[in-house]
Amino acid sequence: MKKGWRWVSVIIIIIISAPLVILLLIHLTPEPPAAGMEKARKAIAEAEAVNASTYSRKLYDEALALYDSAMVSWQRQNRRFIYFRNFDEVAGYAGRSESRALEAAENSSAMSTNLENRIRKKYTILNRLSAEIDTLFGTYPLNAEIRNRISRGKLLLKESEILYDNGDYFSAYRKLTDSENLLTASYEHASSDLKDYFKAYSTWKKWIDKTLNDSRSSHSYSIIIDKFSRKCLVYLRGKMKYEFNAELGSNWVGNKRLKGDKATPEGMYRIAGKFEGGKTKYYKALLLNYPNDDDRERFLSEVKNGTLPSTASIGGLIEIHGQGGKGVDWTEGCIALQDKAMDVLYRLVRKGTPVTIVGSMIDLQSILKR
Amino acid sequence: MKNKVFMGLAAIAMVAVLSSCGKKPQAEIDATNAAITAAQTAEAAVYVPDEFTAVQDSMKTIMSEVQVQESKLFKNFGDVKTKLAATLTLANKAAVDAAAKKEEVKQEVDTMMTDIKAVIDENGTLMKRAPRGKEGAAVLEAMKTDMATVAASVTEAQGLNDQGKYMDALNKLKAAKEKADGINTELKDAIEKATGRRPGGK
Repeated sequence: MKKGWRWVSVIIIIIISAPLVILLLIHLTPEPPAAGMEKARKAIAEAEAVNASTYSRKLYDEALALYDSAMVSWQRQNRRFIYFRNFDEVAGYAGRSESRALEAAENSSAMSTNLENRIRKKYTILNRLSAEIDTLFGTYPLNAEIRNRISRGKLLLKESEILYDNGDYFSAYRKLTDSENLLTASYEHASSDLKDYFKAYSTWKKWIDKTLNDSRSSHSYSIIIDKFSRKCLVYLRGKMKYEFNAELGSNWVGNKRLKGDKATPEGMYRIAGKFEGGKTKYYKALLLNYPNDDDRERFLSEVKNGTLPSTASIGGLIEIHGQGGKGVDWTEGCIALQDKAMDVLYRLVRKGTPVTIVGSMIDLQSILKR
Repeated sequence: MKNKVFMGLAAIAMVAVLSSCGKKPQAEIDATNAAITAAQTAEAAVYVPDEFTAVQDSMKTIMSEVQVQESKLFKNFGDVKTKLAATLTLANKAAVDAAAKKEEVKQEVDTMMTDIKAVIDENGTLMKRAPRGKEGAAVLEAMKTDMATVAASVTEAQGLNDQGKYMDALNKLKAAKEKADGINTELKDAIEKATGRRPGGK
């Protein structure tokens, strides 16, 4: 009987003490670093959401590596006997991972905003440059390589804008930089050509002043052709009365040097003849006295010093004629006006009316400022 | 003495039984990881980046939860298993969605490629009709250069398309198409100005 009671009391003690033992065992179990790991994971997710893997890659990769190290360390600790586990290292890795991820997110947001602003500013500048290139060189006969670079630069700018719209600022910026390099270099090269073209501006200015003074003193009509702006301007007593659009020879930059060079000459000329009906195939025509004495002198000098072949011819039959309005420079060196403009001009002028052809009536600085 | 030994063994047995209640669901983890790899192979990161990021993040949470359970005296992987099943489904969906999106982009590239080639051909025809007057085509040099640039860009896009880089090909084609359309309009305007009639077609 005594033995029986002893067994009962043992069982009762076990039943009562078991939960206490379990609670004690649980209490003594080291706390896993779940909260720290969760914070790190969330920080990494937030960093990824602001594209830190793109804009702050180094910090983001460091955060990922530290997170992985934390997981490895955690697994290693979990393989040890439960009461020998120490999660300090795991918590350390997790904490550093979180801090790197937060830094990456902050850095990425700043970088992204900064990049977006830089891209937008560059778009404004490059689109302005692109428009300026069109204005200055749209009809300017640039060499093929420069044209090719401008064309590629513009297409890259467009590709960049599409990437920007997709939110891919990094790729957009890369394309934009390539575009900028092409357009800027081309612009500088083309501008240098243009500066060479405008070297004769002081001479053109003298011709313009003389033409207008003569028009004032003789109370008669004078014509000025502005090659750069493609204008035919009609003056009476020094005041402009009419302005017509003009089309030139395709190789209009610079002075005419020889027959067949498709250049429109520059100089002070007079109308040498008027033709209409069956006498011209271009509706109506005003023949100029090209070549004048200056043209002949320059041509002979070039032949003499060998810059032109001895077989070269100076050319002639430069006219202001009709059938213009095609929107392109298409003549052999003549000046083409629309037939309606030609009707007006033909009526106003006579044989001997001065026609001054200049590279530009406005200096380069003023053109660039426009 | 006999009783003390018995009590000790009973306590150890109880701890052993209670601490081995849950078993790490390795098969489910492997299956989910395989599904994530499959989604990655299907370029989910490129075509459905948000979906794929969510899957990856979800897997990170699960692996962390696995370790939490592994750290416990009494393990319970029931919740982990449920989450693994959900993530597996998400990963599979990401792979399917990526494939669908990829096909959609591919179709868009094909359509745009056909369209742009038609515009390039038309531009070639229009160029022959563009006003030349007494001159050759020298004055249309700028436009010809742009056409050559567009054609080169289309060739590049074709290369990207052949490599399966449909997104890159599509972005390139969009820019080229805009340029080709611009040239088309310019040419038609020039022809209309010269002839008084606008060419038909696009």
